Amino acid sequence: MLTHPAYARPETLYEALLFLKTHGIDTRPLAGGTDVMVDLRAGKLKSEYLLDISRLKELQGIGLSKDGLSIGAGVTISEIYNSPLVAKNAPSLIKSCAFFGSPQIRNVATIGGNVGNASPSADTVPPLLVHEARAVLASENGERTVALANLFEGPYRSGIRPDELLIRFILEPADGRFTDFQKIGRRKALAISRMSMALLADPKEDGTLGTVRLALGSGTPTPMRMEAVEAFLKGKRADRQTVEAGSRLMAEEMVRITGRRPSTEYKEKAVQGLFLRILAPLVE
Amino acid sequence: MDTYSVIPIRFTLNGDKVSIEAGAHETALTVIRERLSLKGTKEGCGMGECGACTILVDGKSVNACLMAAPQLEGRTVMTVEGLGREGKLHPLQEAFLEHHGVQCGFCTPGLLMSAQSLILETPRPTHKQVVEAISGNLCRCTGYQQIVDAIQYGADKTGGEE
Ligand SMILES: Cc1cc2nc3c(=O)[nH]c(=O)nc-3n(C[C@H](O)[C@H](O)[C@H](O)COP(=O)(O)OP(=O)(O)OC[C@H]3O[C@@H](n4cnc5c(N)ncnc54)[C@H](O)[C@@H]3O)c2cc1C
Ligand code: FES
Ligand code: FES
Repeated sequence: MLTHPAYARPETLYEALLFLKTHGIDTRPLAGGTDVMVDLRAGKLKSEYLLDISRLKELQGIGLSKDGLSIGAGVTISEIYNSPLVAKNAPSLIKSCAFFGSPQIRNVATIGGNVGNASPSADTVPPLLVHEARAVLASENGERTVALANLFEGPYRSGIRPDELLIRFILEPADGRFTDFQKIGRRKALAISRMSMALLADPKEDGTLGTVRLALGSGTPTPMRMEAVEAFLKGKRADRQTVEAGSRLMAEEMVRITGRRPSTEYKEKAVQGLFLRILAPLVE
Repeated sequence: MDTYSVIPIRFTLNGDKVSIEAGAHETALTVIRERLSLKGTKEGCGMGECGACTILVDGKSVNACLMAAPQLEGRTVMTVEGLGREGKLHPLQEAFLEHHGVQCGFCTPGLLMSAQSLILETPRPTHKQVVEAISGNLCRCTGYQQIVDAIQYGADKTGGEE
C-alpha cells in the first residue's frame, strides 16, 4: 500500500534547507527515488513530506581542485560511470558504478542516495572509503565536513541529521596508485551471498607495499576500512604467503567486528576469496 | 515553500503536451497507464527489477514504476506508443517481429525502450553493448538471443534510414 506523503519541490538549496529546518524530522529527501519509491510502495515510508531535491544545481557537478576530486551528491551513477575525470582519479569508483543495478537504475540513482540509504551493501561506499572521502553536509546553520568513515551510525542509519542534506563528496585522487573494486552476489541475492571490497595500494620499487587501504562492504554492519589488515600488509612484499596470511586476518577481523552468525562460515570463505582476487594483480 | 498532496504537472508525452494533477504517492507508471490510458507501458514487479515499465525520460531509459509522478514536470517522455507511427512500425519493432523477439509480448515494450535508449547514444552497438543495455529487462519466454539479434538488426535498419 502506498502512503500519501505531501510533495515539495524547492527551487534552491537554501529553500530546501529552510524547509528541513522546520519539517526535517517528518521529511524524506527524494533524489533518484530508487530506494525511497521502493520503501513507499512497501508501506515502509512513514514521512509526511517528500522533498524533491533531484533538480538542485548545488548538488550537481564533478570537478578537480587542490582539495581533491569533488562529486556532487546529486550526480547519478551513469554520470559517474561516464566521467573521464573520475576514470582518471578514482577508477575503483567507476568499477562500482559499472556493476550497479541496471541501466535504468543507473540513469536516476545518485551517489548521495547511495550514501543516504546507508545500506551495508551500498556499492559506492567501499571505493569512497579507500579514497578517504569527506562528506560535505549543509543545514540552514551552515556546512560541516565529516570523514565518510565517521558518518555512518549503523545499518540504514546514515548519520545525516534531519535538517541536513549531503551536498558533495571530496575524494583523494588515486594519483597513479593501484585501485580496484570487486563484488560478488547480486543485490536481490540473499544477503549472505553478497560482498564487496575496494583497494587502494601503492607498491614501491623494491616490491614492498607503501599505502594500503582496504574497505569491505556487506561483511560488517556498515561498509568500513579494515585497518588491522592494512597495517599488516603495509611495508611487506605482496608474496603469496603474506597475502594468504592477510586473507585469514581479514576473515578474523570481520568476525571480530560483526560477531558470529549462521552466515559466518560462508562469509569467511567469501571474504578470503575476494581478498585474494583483489590483491592478485599485486602478487609477485 | 508550499507542499502539495497533488500538484499540476506539465510534460511532453510522445510529442504531445500533457497537463495533469498528480501526487508524490503516484508513480509515472500510474499516470501514464491508468490516468492517460497508454497501456503499452507494463507493470511487472513495481520495484525496479523487471524493466517492463521502461520509458525514456529526456532520452534516457528509466523505470516508470520508481519515478514519482511530479518528477515528470518539464520532461520529454517517450513510451512505446511514440516509437512507431500510425500504420508504420519502427524498424526496431519490425526487427523484433522478424527475428522472433516476441512471444507473449509482455516484456517487449520495455525492451524496445531500452533498445531505443541505446541506439540514441550508440547507433551501431556491439553485441556486448546490446546485452548490457537490456540487462535491466526480464523476459521469461525467449531466452534473449532472438532479442539481442533483433536489436542489432533493428539498429542497422534505423541507422540506414537516417
Ligand atoms: C532494481 C534495483 C537495483 C539496485 N542495485 C543496486 C546496486 O547494484 N548497488 C547499490 O549499491 N544499490 C543498488 N540499489 C539501491 C539504490 O539504487 C541505491 O542505493 C541508489 O544509489 C539510491 O540513490 P537514489 O538517488 O535513488 O536515492 P533515493 O531513493 O532518492 O534516496 C535514498 C535515501 O537517501 C536519502 N538522500 C538522497 N539524497 C540525499 C542527500 N543529498 N542528502 C541527504 N539524504 C539524501 C533519501 O532521503 C533516502 O533516505 C538498487 C535499487 C534497485 C531498485
Ligand atoms: S514494473 Fe517497473 S521494473 Fe518491474
Ligand atoms: S516474450 Fe514473454 S516475457 Fe518476453
